[in-house]
Amino acid sequence: MKFGIFFEISVPRPWEAETEYQVYQNCLEQVRVADELGFDQVWAVEHHFLEEYSHCSAPEIFLTAAAMLTKQIRIGLGIVVCVPQINNPIKIAERTATMDLITGGRLEVGTGRSATWTELGGFGVDPDTTKKTWDEFVRILPKMWTQERFGYEGESFSMPQRAILPKPFQKPHPPMWVAVTSPGTEIDAADRGLGSLGLTFGGFAEQETKVAEYRRRIKYCNPVGSFVNEQVNTVNFLFCHPDNETGVKTGLRLAGTFNYMAEQLLAARQAYPTRSYPNLGLLPALRRESSAPGADGGAPEGTCIGNPERIIQVLKNWESVGVDRVNFLLNAVETVPQEEVLASLRLFASEVMPKFASTRSVVSAGAGAI
Amino acid sequence: MPLIGTLDVSSQAASAPLVLEPNTEPWELLGAGHLQLMFEIDDSHMVDLLPPALHPTIPPTLLINVLHAPKSSVGQFTLAEVRIGCRSGGRPRAFLAQAYCDSAAAVAELRTRWGYPVTQAEVVLDPQHHQVLARVTLHGKVLLDCALKGPEAINGADIQYLPNMNLARMMRNGAEAVRLLQVDADYAILKADRGRPTATVFVPEAWAVGGATPQWPVSASYATGTVTLPRVRYLANPSLRPLEAVEAV
Repeated sequence: MKFGIFFEISVPRPWEAETEYQVYQNCLEQVRVADELGFDQVWAVEHHFLEEYSHCSAPEIFLTAAAMLTKQIRIGLGIVVCVPQINNPIKIAERTATMDLITGGRLEVGTGRSATWTELGGFGVDPDTTKKTWDEFVRILPKMWTQERFGYEGESFSMPQRAILPKPFQKPHPPMWVAVTSPGTEIDAADRGLGSLGLTFGGFAEQETKVAEYRRRIKYCNPVGSFVNEQVNTVNFLFCHPDNETGVKTGLRLAGTFNYMAEQLLAARQAYPTRSYPNLGLLPALRRESSAPGADGGAPEGTCIGNPERIIQVLKNWESVGVDRVNFLLNAVETVPQEEVLASLRLFASEVMPKFASTRSVVSAGAGAI
Repeated sequence: MPLIGTLDVSSQAASAPLVLEPNTEPWELLGAGHLQLMFEIDDSHMVDLLPPALHPTIPPTLLINVLHAPKSSVGQFTLAEVRIGCRSGGRPRAFLAQAYCDSAAAVAELRTRWGYPVTQAEVVLDPQHHQVLARVTLHGKVLLDCALKGPEAINGADIQYLPNMNLARMMRNGAEAVRLLQVDADYAILKADRGRPTATVFVPEAWAVGGATPQWPVSASYATGTVTLPRVRYLANPSLRPLEAVEAV
């Protein structure tokens, strides 16, 4: 099992220059420390207009800065919004290839489509179209990366033949993922040979069923890229403390704050009647499950909060249901002081990580190349 | 933390409906037609249209709901509402700013049982094959003229309806108090369409929304089926902060 960290970059009001600056600096410090401690990957989302919840509208820039501060940690752009009004696919291919070059081949590319009216409405996007444009984008990106010249006539995007430059450092191209929030998207991931970047986890039993179906279907996939990226990645909260009660209490505060912020946003489904968004997106199950009491009435059963012993047990359960990677949300609107976040990371690295094999990816791209 | 409303409801309290018994029987409205339009409003009204017990949505939203009930215990009626999208804690809700209804008997039911701030007026809901029109007229003045344009069939389950938060007076602990009544209507939809929302006439002062106007169209739906107004289970103290405001009846 591999571990990473995951950033929404949430910023508390008031949004003075110093506040946003400090949050960004804290996040960059967390990445630097995570790299030193042996965490495998760092992911940063792309969100727009999501007040307090996420001020991470230019993740490629944040991640480039993170890459320059680190040596080994893999860089997860995730997810990039595959909607033409928000991102032109040519620009996605160019930016990601550049990131892969300057990080020396450490890039992973997550894809998705946004789940809020706040974002889709802001860019004038028809919510009915986003699944279609995502599907089109994930099929052309690998060709843009690998073909000397690329031309295309499609539904949402067309272009005459041009050389899209530069080309990625990793050959044939960086691993590709898709954000899985809506029911059935794990099937979309499997059928296209994409990694499942789970932004929900549900209960252990529910996840086990989904992972089993993903593994079964990906064996027969028609990969959109040059190789199959069969991996299941999930998101969780992390607060690790020597005292279990303190860890759970602070962790619940972190999870509760994050959930409360997310609930203020206007989901696409809440604003616009469409089958394209069968649920509310934005980590809904993570929010629900992380707030529900465990069987003993204490900490939620699948949430990585508490002392190292508890977190090891939780992660063993996730490992047993087939999860390959877990990425941790470390903070929400700075509700946890930075020194406590860093102490939690260090304790996790010293006490929890050694209980799990293979915490650092050696080579991801090309593994299983076809 | 999220923004909260700044509306001082004390000025509205005196004229707010008096609800003597919130534990009322459900009211089933068979064969109802329901038009719902959503618009974004200017962010200068993000917090001033909501009491402190509620958070605004991001972006701030205004909903126009027009319900025609062909059969009810008091006969047929048509009800038009203007609501402000919000959150009670983390729960999606809509604060009812003002309503109009064309039946005096229905006005009495809605005011005394569910706390609707509703006034009698001429209210028309006119579903056609190529559009659904709604109009509210009071003393000859048009207060609202809106429509769903270009209807296309959808699954009714894809429409989201927000429970109302209605400001009313009621008895709490032996004294009269002002509370928000959560009215979580149930919708059993038989047929539904969606389309483009338009509002050609909207008089903000008639709808108690300051200078807010339907500025940016979001969505429109029209559904037919059974609407049931429920027994009220939850209240909120409008003056308290969202996480402290909610009370069981």
